[in-house]
Amino acid sequence: MSRRRETDAQLLARIGLDAVARRERARQNHNRLVALAFMAPALVLVIGVLLVPVGYNLYLSVMNWRKFKGFDQFAGAGNYFDMGSSPYFFDALANTAIWVAASLAFPIAIGLALALLFRGARFEDAFKNIVFLPRILAPTAVAVLWIYVYAPHGVVNRILQMVLGHDVDIGWLYQQSTITASIIVTFVWQTVGLVMVLLLLGLNALPKDPIEAARIDGASPFQSFRHIVLPLLAPTLLMVSILCVLAGFTVFDLLWVMGAGYPGLRTLSLAIFMYFEAFQKGGWSFGSAVAVVIGLIVLSVTWLQAWLQHRIDQNLK
Amino acid sequence: MTSLVDTLDFDAIEKRERRARRSSWAVLAVSGFVSLLWLTPFYYLVVTIFKTTDEYTHSDPFAPPRGLAPILGNSVTAWNEATMAYGMSNSALYGGVGAGLAVLFAAMAAYGLTRLDYRGKTLIFMTIFAGTVFPFQMYLIPLFLLYGKIGILNTRFGMMLFYTAICIPFPTLVLRNYMSGLSREMDEAARMEGAGEFTVFARIVLPNAAGPMVATFLLQFTWIWNDLLFSTVLGNRAEVRSIMNSLQVFQGSYASTGPNVVLTAALIASLPSLLMFFALRRHFMEGLKVTGL
Repeated sequence: MSRRRETDAQLLARIGLDAVARRERARQNHNRLVALAFMAPALVLVIGVLLVPVGYNLYLSVMNWRKFKGFDQFAGAGNYFDMGSSPYFFDALANTAIWVAASLAFPIAIGLALALLFRGARFEDAFKNIVFLPRILAPTAVAVLWIYVYAPHGVVNRILQMVLGHDVDIGWLYQQSTITASIIVTFVWQTVGLVMVLLLLGLNALPKDPIEAARIDGASPFQSFRHIVLPLLAPTLLMVSILCVLAGFTVFDLLWVMGAGYPGLRTLSLAIFMYFEAFQKGGWSFGSAVAVVIGLIVLSVTWLQAWLQHRIDQNLK
Repeated sequence: MTSLVDTLDFDAIEKRERRARRSSWAVLAVSGFVSLLWLTPFYYLVVTIFKTTDEYTHSDPFAPPRGLAPILGNSVTAWNEATMAYGMSNSALYGGVGAGLAVLFAAMAAYGLTRLDYRGKTLIFMTIFAGTVFPFQMYLIPLFLLYGKIGILNTRFGMMLFYTAICIPFPTLVLRNYMSGLSREMDEAARMEGAGEFTVFARIVLPNAAGPMVATFLLQFTWIWNDLLFSTVLGNRAEVRSIMNSLQVFQGSYASTGPNVVLTAALIASLPSLLMFFALRRHFMEGLKVTGL
């Protein structure tokens, strides 16, 4: 028992430096083996089911797929050039850009406005819960609900009829001029609650002193918001913005369910375009190439976030 | 003290208070309007599920229902026509097994990453973390083709395999941060008493990490329950369909039924995540804070 309890220094004195080093190495090797046994299920699943498929996707995107032959030809960048000659690709790209811009601007502007409005107000919790409510429905259920809200005899047209005084029967989800805006409204309805809650967490964590000092020095509420609250809130705003951009960029459920009746479905976004080309038309290689493009864009956004986060952290220090 | 009272301008104070009171009424009015706007679709949902198909087609979408009884018929029709028995039990299986195994494996991985000393941890962590950086679109085609090749496309096993894997990286990240904050003295003491590594993991570290494990389990369960994308691609056969997939298929083919039935189905499909949210609100909010999801 006493031997097991002896310290490194005592051991060193008894048997010398080499033995200590050897013992340390043996201990490390033993620990690594034990740790690997613990990490094995996670590693095997992540590599086998997630990372290998990503590699396979890259491989597929530079091959040609032919019926009955499979992926037997090297295509190089051919699939990527095909995107340039597909008119649908550019429509999907443009729509995705609109989606990203809208899913960044509206949830953040409205979420911030509501956070500032509700904060400290009477019944604050009730208002917060009501705006957060849509978030706890499944996105598919939200999409199904809004299909009927937008139906020709649905809720939106009924409200317009009450306001305008004559019958309205717009097929919001069946015409090009309204479908994207309509689905964005649903997206905003669903996401603003979360954005608001996250911004409230950020607002409540701000230091009180600078705001109080500015108020005593005679700054108007707007001035202290613009020059003190907003800069302090920058890290939270950045995190929320990135969440919104990525959510808007890869949104699938809402578009797929709500756009199902729209003839130009595949142009709704890049994610839908990729799904359509691969799973409905069987263009596996072409679809893989589109997936790689989506991946590159998402990775650059994530990289940009890490870079900005680093900058902000440095500035705060 | 008297001098301070002398300098107080009571008129100004009263004016400021009156303004504050008026602005608080304005805040209340605007907040109430916003809430009304947000609740309108819910109001429509609630009145609709209490109407029969006939009543729905002949009434105003905002009109209150004539009685409460039709919801029973709507539920039965929805349950049968949307094959919700399959959908609900499949999704419960996928969510329970997928999120459960994922959090267990993540806890084991986090143990290996934080409670033992050796070199090369960063590489292993980055490998697992890499599972969070790619968009879902990059998994779809390869998984569909590979699943087809080895014959697990449209099987419950294939679905559980994928859901377990996709749900591992995020809990690993959370539990690694959490476990690295736990003191290691207890581990050392137990080892000294002759406890094996598994005992240390199961008896000492796991009980201490129960909170974040529950939070991440709930988040991942809800994610699996709500997932439409992967269940459409990897499990599109009637018997293995997830609840969201069943709902979408039902909505697309509702020729025989009306919005009242489809919306009843949508509400039933959302019930488990609604219940989970209200029952474990605190954990859910904790999870939100941890993840920002």
